[in-house]
Amino acid sequence: MSDLLESTEPGPGTPAGDDVLVRIENVVKYFPVRTGGLVRRTVGHVQAVDDVSLSIPRGKTLGLVGETGSGKSTLARCVAGLIPVTSGKVIFDGRDVTNLSRSAMRPVRREIQMIFQDPYSSLNPRRRVGAIIGDPFTIHRTATGGERKRQVQELMERVGLNPEHYNRFPAEFSGGQRQRIGVARALALRPKLIICDEPVSALDVSIQAQVLNLLADLQRDYGLTYLFIAHDLEVVRHVSNTVAVMYLGRIVESGPITPVYDTPRHPYTAALLSAAPAADPDTAAARQRIILTGDVPSPIDPPSGCRFHPRCPKAEQICGTQEPQLEAKAGDAATHVTACHFPVQAGENLAAAQAGAN
Amino acid sequence: MSITGIEAASQEAAAGESALDTGAAKIQGRSQWQLTWRRLRQDKVAMAALVVILVIVLLAIFAPVFVSFTHHPPNIAYPNTGEDAAGNPVAPGTNGFWLGTDGTGRDLFIRILYGARISLFVGFFTTFVGVVAGLAVGLMAGYFGGFVDTVLARFTDAVLAFPYIVLALALAVVLGPSLTVIIGVISFFSWAAIARIVRGQTLSIKEKEYIEAARSLGAGPFRIMIFDILPNLLAPVLVLATLYIPTAIVFEATLSYLGLGIQPPTASWGNILADAQNFYSTSWWYVVFPALVLLITTLAFNLLGDGVRDAMDPRTERVFAAGRGRRGRKGREKRQVLAEDGSDAAHAAPYVPPAEGS
Repeated sequence: MSDLLESTEPGPGTPAGDDVLVRIENVVKYFPVRTGGLVRRTVGHVQAVDDVSLSIPRGKTLGLVGETGSGKSTLARCVAGLIPVTSGKVIFDGRDVTNLSRSAMRPVRREIQMIFQDPYSSLNPRRRVGAIIGDPFTIHRTATGGERKRQVQELMERVGLNPEHYNRFPAEFSGGQRQRIGVARALALRPKLIICDEPVSALDVSIQAQVLNLLADLQRDYGLTYLFIAHDLEVVRHVSNTVAVMYLGRIVESGPITPVYDTPRHPYTAALLSAAPAADPDTAAARQRIILTGDVPSPIDPPSGCRFHPRCPKAEQICGTQEPQLEAKAGDAATHVTACHFPVQAGENLAAAQAGAN
Repeated sequence: MSITGIEAASQEAAAGESALDTGAAKIQGRSQWQLTWRRLRQDKVAMAALVVILVIVLLAIFAPVFVSFTHHPPNIAYPNTGEDAAGNPVAPGTNGFWLGTDGTGRDLFIRILYGARISLFVGFFTTFVGVVAGLAVGLMAGYFGGFVDTVLARFTDAVLAFPYIVLALALAVVLGPSLTVIIGVISFFSWAAIARIVRGQTLSIKEKEYIEAARSLGAGPFRIMIFDILPNLLAPVLVLATLYIPTAIVFEATLSYLGLGIQPPTASWGNILADAQNFYSTSWWYVVFPALVLLITTLAFNLLGDGVRDAMDPRTERVFAAGRGRRGRKGREKRQVLAEDGSDAAHAAPYVPPAEGS
């Protein structure tokens, strides 16, 4: 269970504790909601990330899935040190990097880099590609002049761009090429961790595969560790070693890819998986689609108990009062943990349960 | 590509550095400025305005050369040749006074040229000061937000709300009218509007992902403002600056007309006009020529500013260019053709009954 969750006992087949690159301990991120006007009163908090603990082993990929507004990107920005955390700790490579000052964070920035979702807004339209990819060298003063240019062109070649396009503007590239520019920029300082915030969501499917393969090649060659955020479950399955499912700021289920995808325990995971389109029409026709009712509740005032209970087909009274703990359920490996009072059993028909409940 | 692949590539890059350089130069992307200039050159009105401005600037610069032709320095009165028997100014073309003389028998043409020096200097210099100060204040207010923003934005609003003529009059009375006071007053009132627009733009740009990318690389606030935000502001600020120059010129003329600006005998368009008001019934040229130069100059700057704005943003061009010359007619023809095609297609297509409820 050290694979994903903060725990002292190493689970079977998981790396030893000191091989963990990133450890997120009880991270909480609340954004204050303030009234407008001259005197600003805080009237509540958006509980974007609430008590999340995760760890990512060195050289592996953790996939983080969940719908829009579940707090995935906020968590990523907390790890990257882009926004301060409200409470909890982020431990990177044995060092506590929580809420460091800008100057103290500087050396850490070299080791944690980010690839952003939108290749159109993540590249400054007024700057040439060479300057964009060369920025890390300039900011950290690792290379200047001709050496910088050589390194930038090397990076461009490495990510599959024509190094001669050094002087072009981002607008002259396609979406996939732009994302490669973003990858080159993230790779420039040879980081240990790359946080990929939905790196392929904005690309079309054929290009997605190219970028994913590039990321996989880079991981193999440089021993990179990825925190990979996506809402495409198949993409996560393809690239990740472990997966964590978020709902309204909490982790509801996490574990190695195969058990989570084959026998999801949390009804929300099951619903997500059932909603993913299947390429094979026979599979698609045979599958029971679990359609959740209602919308995601407001993270300003999340439901009591299990945050999923108002939409859960299996919810009972206890779900609204008692918060379920993340724990391994009967029959699961110790690494596969679920926060649910009534975990889904293998072969159980949730769609039918839902129909009955309605 | 593997790691050895990179090394090979880097050797290649090192070996073929010069080849790469020439290649990069050949396919160098067109910058925003090159594109703007190409579009601006198509705009006949803006180009004519630019030529007019250049002519006025050259006339102002080479004013002493004209003195050597006319032998009439700007501040020398010619009671014998420059005034008629009744002591009134002589008409244009008389006694070698190309545009006639003013109330004290000085060469009006030369005085207008020397007035242009003052007007253009005040126009360019105060706009430069206003742009630099406006950018600094707007960037800081927009980027830092919070307390800094509150202080700077309220100060900007206060300056904008101030009755500037009143302040200018007060200052001129207290400090005594001089070029320095004029430049100070006009600069002080020109930065605020620029700061407000820069602040607004900065607020929207700082939410872009590329700003977050720069922060995740470890860039500090001033680096982000100068390298990431400023290049995106140059286009709107350049347009504003072009439109501010004529405002400053008119402001200077106003102050000088009121007697609080450039003091006689130094010529300025404003004080020439002030003197001319006693002679408008007898000597039309005394009023008409300085007023005409002022009008042509401000009009040219305004038309150039409009042209630059259209050239910067092709989308607005499409809206406003419809009535303007050849491009507009072409556009209408194209639309007509499209309409015809559309109607043909409608005839050819099988009739589809409208869906129910639509």
